[in-house]
Amino acid sequence: MASSSALPPGDGKGEDDELSIPRAALNKMIKELIPTVRVANDARELILNCCTEFIHFVSSEANDICNKQNKKTISPEHILAALENLGFGAYKEDAEAVLQETKAVAAKKRRASSRLENLGIPEEELLRQQQELFAKARQEQAELEQQQWIQMQQALQEQQNMLQQQTLSPEDDYS
Amino acid sequence: MSDVETQSQELQSQESEKQAANDNEKLFRLPLSRIKSIMKSDPDVTLASQEAVITLAKATELFIHSLSKDAVISTLNSKRKTLQRKDLDSMLDTKDCYVFLEGTLDS
Repeated sequence: MASSSALPPGDGKGEDDELSIPRAALNKMIKELIPTVRVANDARELILNCCTEFIHFVSSEANDICNKQNKKTISPEHILAALENLGFGAYKEDAEAVLQETKAVAAKKRRASSRLENLGIPEEELLRQQQELFAKARQEQAELEQQQWIQMQQALQEQQNMLQQQTLSPEDDYS
Repeated sequence: MSDVETQSQELQSQESEKQAANDNEKLFRLPLSRIKSIMKSDPDVTLASQEAVITLAKATELFIHSLSKDAVISTLNSKRKTLQRKDLDSMLDTKDCYVFLEGTLDS
């Protein structure tokens, strides 16, 4: 199933005014939210338009805040403040959480990749070494078990020998 | 030898992080590029950082959630199984924060 990010940009929607989020993405979200309720087509259309309106509304407010701070680029803080101002402060927490997660994952990736790069060992080599280690451990374990088995055999053999000797001597007496 | 072991562990955790990142991407149901285009269609808006677009994308998702959930309450109250436009209409009238959408309804 193609993800929505795989959609080609500008697929027939040349006009800025006709821009909206893709229907399929919206349908999926609604289905996950309220699976048991069917949604009329015109209701979907309306939700779609409301979303676009929402985006415009929040961007516009964020833009105002941004200009007041004499900045040129709208930052996430501006968006969060705009949400608060427009009565959607309830969204702030979740939006912030997602933002932190994205930053954390990106930072970890950078740190992790730089750590591996600094060691100078490529991924394949590391995997190979890991396989070697496992194989070695397995072999050592097998050898240990075999030794134990041999020792056990020997001990068993000795016991049997002793038993035989004991049983033999009384028979001699009877002959 | 133990160095190699820890490195291997890091490799595994990296892969699981990639998985988590993929799951994270799945959280963004709405395409970031589309949202950015909608933002830019406003002539006043000049530049927005990538993180700002992400924040807005999440907010829009939450908006869809609220809208749908509130409308469904109206649907269930009317003992219907299909969410119809009038459910949205009635709900938009009641909540203050949805006032800005009044213009949209008329179109």
